[in-house]
Amino acid sequence: MFKNEEMEINMGPQHPSTHGVLRLKLKLDGEVVKHCRPVIGYLHRGVEKICENQTFFQGQVWTDRMDYTSAVANNLGWAEAVEKLFGISVPRRAKYIRTMLNEFNRVASHLVWLGTHAMDIGALTVFLYTFREREDILDIFEAFCGARLTTTAFRIGGLREDLPPGIEKQIRAFLAKFLDCLNEYETLLTENRIWKKRTIGTGLLNSADAIAMGVTGPVLRAAGVPFDVRKAFPYASYAEMDFEVPTRTEGDNYARYLVRLAEMRQSHRIIQQCLDGLPEGPVMAKIPRILRSEVNEVYHPTEAPKGELGYYLVGEKGSLNPYRFHVRGPGFINLQALPMMVKGGLVADCIATIGTLDVVLGEIDR
Amino acid sequence: MNKFLKTLIPIDIYKGLKVTGTHFMKVFCTANRRKVPLHRVQEYPEVKAKVAPRYRGRLTMLKDEQGEIKCVCCLACEKICPTQVITIESGKKEGRKTKIPVRYDFEMERCIFCEFCVESCGFDSIILNHQFELAAYNREDFSIGLLGQSQNMFQLTPVGRFSYSDSDKD
Amino acid sequence: MNPTASMTLLQISVMAILQTIAVLIFIFIVVPLTTFAERKVLGYVQDRLGSVRLAGHLVGFTGWMNRVMWGMGRLPFVSILRGLPQFIGDIVKLFVKEDIVPEKSDHFIFRIAPAISMIASVAVFAGISFYPGALFTFPKAVPIVGGLPFTGFISNMNIGLLFILGVSSVGVYGIVLGGWASNSRFPLLGGLRSAAQIVSYEVPLTLSLMAPVILTGTLNFNDMTRKLSTEMPLVATPLLFVGFFIYLTCGFAETNRLPFDMPEAENELVAGFHTEYAGMRFGFFYLAEYINMIVVSALASSFFLGGPFLLPFGLHRFILHVPVIGPPSAIWFVAKILFLLFVYIWVRGTIPRYRYDQVMAIAWKYLIPFTLVLLMLAAIIRYAA
Repeated sequence: MFKNEEMEINMGPQHPSTHGVLRLKLKLDGEVVKHCRPVIGYLHRGVEKICENQTFFQGQVWTDRMDYTSAVANNLGWAEAVEKLFGISVPRRAKYIRTMLNEFNRVASHLVWLGTHAMDIGALTVFLYTFREREDILDIFEAFCGARLTTTAFRIGGLREDLPPGIEKQIRAFLAKFLDCLNEYETLLTENRIWKKRTIGTGLLNSADAIAMGVTGPVLRAAGVPFDVRKAFPYASYAEMDFEVPTRTEGDNYARYLVRLAEMRQSHRIIQQCLDGLPEGPVMAKIPRILRSEVNEVYHPTEAPKGELGYYLVGEKGSLNPYRFHVRGPGFINLQALPMMVKGGLVADCIATIGTLDVVLGEIDR
Repeated sequence: MNKFLKTLIPIDIYKGLKVTGTHFMKVFCTANRRKVPLHRVQEYPEVKAKVAPRYRGRLTMLKDEQGEIKCVCCLACEKICPTQVITIESGKKEGRKTKIPVRYDFEMERCIFCEFCVESCGFDSIILNHQFELAAYNREDFSIGLLGQSQNMFQLTPVGRFSYSDSDKD
Repeated sequence: MNPTASMTLLQISVMAILQTIAVLIFIFIVVPLTTFAERKVLGYVQDRLGSVRLAGHLVGFTGWMNRVMWGMGRLPFVSILRGLPQFIGDIVKLFVKEDIVPEKSDHFIFRIAPAISMIASVAVFAGISFYPGALFTFPKAVPIVGGLPFTGFISNMNIGLLFILGVSSVGVYGIVLGGWASNSRFPLLGGLRSAAQIVSYEVPLTLSLMAPVILTGTLNFNDMTRKLSTEMPLVATPLLFVGFFIYLTCGFAETNRLPFDMPEAENELVAGFHTEYAGMRFGFFYLAEYINMIVVSALASSFFLGGPFLLPFGLHRFILHVPVIGPPSAIWFVAKILFLLFVYIWVRGTIPRYRYDQVMAIAWKYLIPFTLVLLMLAAIIRYAA
């Protein structure tokens, strides 16, 4: 009598909750999602091609703008990849400061995630509270390198300058109140019955599918696989830090939420250790003024807040510019798992799932 | 049984309401501009926003004590700039051994404020100042050079007055 | 009491018109202030200030207003009123916006849908009583109505509660017709969802109001308020306490407010039923929602929170004979309505929203059995005490 038709809906590039210009083509049967196909490319700026015409030194500014919520993590990966390519070793003090800023960036990125994800589900205040904390972190970035978002914080061989005076007081003030703020978010969300009803059991991704799709980061750890690049292939000074890798087994939205909250606590721990154990010494290694590459290639994986951020650099004989500069963007590969996660669920869950994947189009499209 | 009671009595919602209610009372009961603000709002534009000492603002050219431009046209800043916004034309001036820029054009439109130019300058002739209010109504105002009516490389970008505060002098 | 028993038809009509005007003045002061309070209270809850200035103006009248508001910022409690002139501009903006009627829509129904919502919301006030007596008496010198009492209620119907529930349910038509008349896929779906949600929550709402009806044995608004505050046995207090929260939850769902505002949340595919409406037509839907909020708050504060009497949940009988705070007063009633409106906004700033199927599940699977249990307990209390 009534024909059951599938409705094809376009959750267009301009949408309040797709966190950027992501387009989703959804096939719906009533409310249930039958098929989902993400269409990306709306923010593609050709970063990788541009960097082929920039020197190794200049390439850093383009990495800021890929994943704009975690610029320092991108900078760190690039700096370490170039240092690996040229065989430069960085002084120990510079490594500690880099680690500390990287962990600050992890906290800042997770705060943005928490705010926007909570706002999608309807809790409006958490957004404002997380951005209040983020203001402190951005002030620390501004004190260190002069910019809040597009930091360009590091240089090949170390840092441009040492920590400014007074920053230790700022950092310790932030550390003192951060755990209370995390408890505040948890009070508002973790035990809230509505939050649990919206996020438990939705957006399921088990560990076999996650590994098959190449998903990394908190999404993988919430599915049960305890893989963290900081522990598996330690870089900067992570080998000397004492921290845990939070893992959960359910693989639903609630598990990802809990994993990221626990990661923020571990980052707090790492920053504390970095600040307490900061060694003396220079912050810049002796490197040649002009860097000309040989023919070699390097792949350097790091743990960005979104997942495994990898830099693949290929040098050319005697050239100032890299021959090929490729970024393994974690968001790009995590997004491939989205159709699997939303199939069979409702449209409202689709929005919640995009939130937990922590989609930032800057690094997906580059 | 415990679970049934927890579903019945909304303790979690009550705790959440307590958190937001405390924030409301804190903001409601404190004056906005007392000496020790209990809430975090800084009322820009009436209250000026403070920036860190290392803040990367607009490119500014410096003069030394005699009023001479320190730039010697080594073109290091022009070469290092990732977006190529600096154009320099060098020339000579009597009584000065080094070159002096006849034209130093800086396109603020495409500048990404990365401070590579300042870092590469070996003569301390340019810095990035602390201005962040750089908006303009015309595109021409973004091309800044050594000469210029509305703005040039030496002076600060003029900021329209669009607020007032207790201390009207700044 | 029946004050209209000895009045002529002319006196009755003029008195009714005067009382209606008074109620309309009350509504049209409180509703815009509620929309303003929403901005400010949400801002304060979120650790920010809401709207505090008319942006950019330094000279003229608006510049002077900005200076005054900046000065007000020093004072702790008054500073919540800082953005008021900006808000008046918002109202004016709604009036002067271009009136767009989509070409393919059903013009007649498109035009009357907001009116239906508004009429249904405002007409409910004919049954609501602010004070169970006369607020003041007109002096003899006034023509036509001289010497007559100006009561705190427009009419003292014996079926007051039935009238209120019936008329407020008519508001669903405005939503359904508004969504349908827009002739567009998404407003239609949004309107249907909204209507289904409202109709589903009518059942536990009415049932939770039936508990006080059983306890008092009457549907008369004034009698119910008085009996619930002053003549209830002590065992009824926990029942009224629980009934208050159930009623308030159903009230949130009736007015499409968080946590039940999925049909009008922006980040759903389906935008609300009022997508195609612009300017004051949208303003009517918007105001109707706030007037519904006031109606729900008025009922909750009358029956459960004691109404014109000071203490809630039937505890007032202990202080009924205390000199100043014992007798009823319209001030307590209005204060309680304002407090409940604050609670509406407070809850909006705190908790996330339910998914649509969860909203329906809560109504049918949890609230209705719960209210039936409450009804049973009310009956036990009434016939045992």
